[in-house]
Amino acid sequence: MSLARIFREHTQRRYIMFGGKGGLGKTTFSAATAYWLASQGKRVLVFSVDPQASLSDIFQRDIYGQGAVEIIPNLFAQEIDADSHIKAYQDQIRAKILDMYGLDEIPEEIESYIQAAAAEPAMEESAIFDQVVDIVVAGGYDYYIYDLVPLGHALYYLSMASVYDQWISKITALREQMREYEQMAARFQRKKELQEDMILAELQDIKYRIQTSSGILTDREKTAFFFVVVPEEMILIDTQKAAELFRKFDVPLSGYIVNRVLPEHLLKSPNLPEYLRNRYSMQQTYLDKIDSIFGGEVLARVNEMERDVTGLPMIERLADIMFADGGT
Amino acid sequence: MEEEKRTNWLGRIGRSLADYIYGMATHESTRFALKTRGSMEHLFILITMGDLLGVPILPPYYSLRLLPYVVPQIATWKRRMLREKDLTDALA
Repeated sequence: MSLARIFREHTQRRYIMFGGKGGLGKTTFSAATAYWLASQGKRVLVFSVDPQASLSDIFQRDIYGQGAVEIIPNLFAQEIDADSHIKAYQDQIRAKILDMYGLDEIPEEIESYIQAAAAEPAMEESAIFDQVVDIVVAGGYDYYIYDLVPLGHALYYLSMASVYDQWISKITALREQMREYEQMAARFQRKKELQEDMILAELQDIKYRIQTSSGILTDREKTAFFFVVVPEEMILIDTQKAAELFRKFDVPLSGYIVNRVLPEHLLKSPNLPEYLRNRYSMQQTYLDKIDSIFGGEVLARVNEMERDVTGLPMIERLADIMFADGGT
Repeated sequence: MEEEKRTNWLGRIGRSLADYIYGMATHESTRFALKTRGSMEHLFILITMGDLLGVPILPPYYSLRLLPYVVPQIATWKRRMLREKDLTDALA
């Protein structure tokens, strides 16, 4: 099975994610996949959910916080600026309070709460998580490529979604119960109309947003999640553990891509240093191991390049390797 | 004509009487429903805005969205929360 074939055979899988430990090439593969799909005439958005995003670096263009930027025809890239999103969000809350109660300024106690809430560690993740919903719901692209955060964070992200979801469900239930008492009192007092519960409406909207965001991560039909590995022992062990955890969260794993493989032609060099020869044979051991563990789930082997993958020509080269069709 | 007026008048008295009896009978229930509703409101604010008392419960990103709606209740809520001996009293 090859990567190109997966894309050809499962055209309904529109949400593409690459996961793996930090520094293995998730952003690189995200960019290369976006490039390949765009060159096939698909409209693609690659966006980063990582507060330390590096799409700007790989495309060699500053796109941070600028919305979706067209890199080449059909290829759009976006880096979410969590900080300014949070600031705008806070302002929105303030404006709403002033407007609702006709105040000139926010009461001190409320203002300090607004500020303290924004300093919470989970705030940035939540803000990005929430914005993903806007991006995905807005539509307009054939493919969405998530440039994910490293493994631990991605798991945090997933568990956060399920915890949030449970919380909101509980709170919503409480709110609904409150509504019942209110209705009961209204009936006794023979009031005909009851004001709409705005909080309940907000809670239902929050729930919808969380479910949309986490629903995509676990959608078997529409989502493809690829793991990036390199032929090294520790990476291999960690990846197996992570894959297990991801399975528990029902993330649909679509396959593995092996990165940083030393090219075979090195061996032909008559004066190959001992150091490289050792690295090469070590990699062979782990490549065999990867094949025996993941078997047909290994979709591509990508050679270690002679230089960084930054800029479009390098991205194109990498895409050619990733999506080379192994005679299928 | 005269007969009709009489029935109307009687009808009005009858309705008022019914309202009066109904009011007496349901007054307690109404009070109970509103009181329960009020206690739950405080519990709700505690769950969503617990941070205000140093009890972080709901992720702050989403509690901010609810904040505007509870602004008027915050002061009474804080007073009540700090007065209550036991949180479950609020539900009794």
